[in-house]
Amino acid sequence: MRVNVEERRAGVFVVTPEGDVDMSTSPDVRKSMEPLFRKGTVQVVVDLSQVPYMDSSGIATLIEGLQLSQRSVVRFTLAGMTPSVEAAFDLAHLKDVFEVFPEVVAALVGGKAK
Amino acid sequence: MSLTDFSGPIVVEIPSDPAALFLVRCLVERLAGRLGFPGEDVSRMTLAVDEACTNVIRHAYGHRTEERIGLRFLVTDERVEIHVRDFGPPLDASKLAPRDLREVRPGGLGLHLIRSAMDEVHYEAPAEGGCLLRLVKYRTRREERAQ
Repeated sequence: MRVNVEERRAGVFVVTPEGDVDMSTSPDVRKSMEPLFRKGTVQVVVDLSQVPYMDSSGIATLIEGLQLSQRSVVRFTLAGMTPSVEAAFDLAHLKDVFEVFPEVVAALVGGKAK
Repeated sequence: MSLTDFSGPIVVEIPSDPAALFLVRCLVERLAGRLGFPGEDVSRMTLAVDEACTNVIRHAYGHRTEERIGLRFLVTDERVEIHVRDFGPPLDASKLAPRDLREVRPGGLGLHLIRSAMDEVHYEAPAEGGCLLRLVKYRTRREERAQ
């Protein structure tokens, strides 16, 4: 799957997967995200606005990202969840574990997660 | 003609290939939508069947992509029952418990999602081998059924 990675400003990255994130595509998200947790990175935002569907493999990949961010002291935020992705997070009772913003801009300005 | 007028169950077989899962999602989403389930239930049923197939690929077939997964949809006025059939080794029942959600870790979410999304979940071991997972979603709310 296509995963765009853009450095919006020094040390602030936005990762944008495009398409369903499931068992077959979550490794692509992991591969794009993992190298960003390094010295000099301040924040990683995963923009989920182009993800119509996410299964437990996708959620697991984001939990791995969260754990990597805690180890490397990088802020890790999610933005732009589509309704079906939000429903999966609700079922997993995991939404409160992440910093979640309605859109990338809000995540970048350092606001408080909803 | 409504969908419940079908003369028999809807039967589909897919390869145990993760690339085929989108077809399962399309089918469940369209079927559940046509049966009049609310959007939230459509998303949940789609997720449950996808997760069930993912578990088959991962645990029953050890990621082998050339095996088969059978899907069977039985629709009545009261409910929809979805069978997910594999022909892998029998499941270890002790591994079927969903994990404690207070633990924030990557694995083991699938079973919890399946159980949360559906009204009933039954595992069976057919005499011919493999595993049959029966997922049930009622078309009416529990309180309506009780009346």
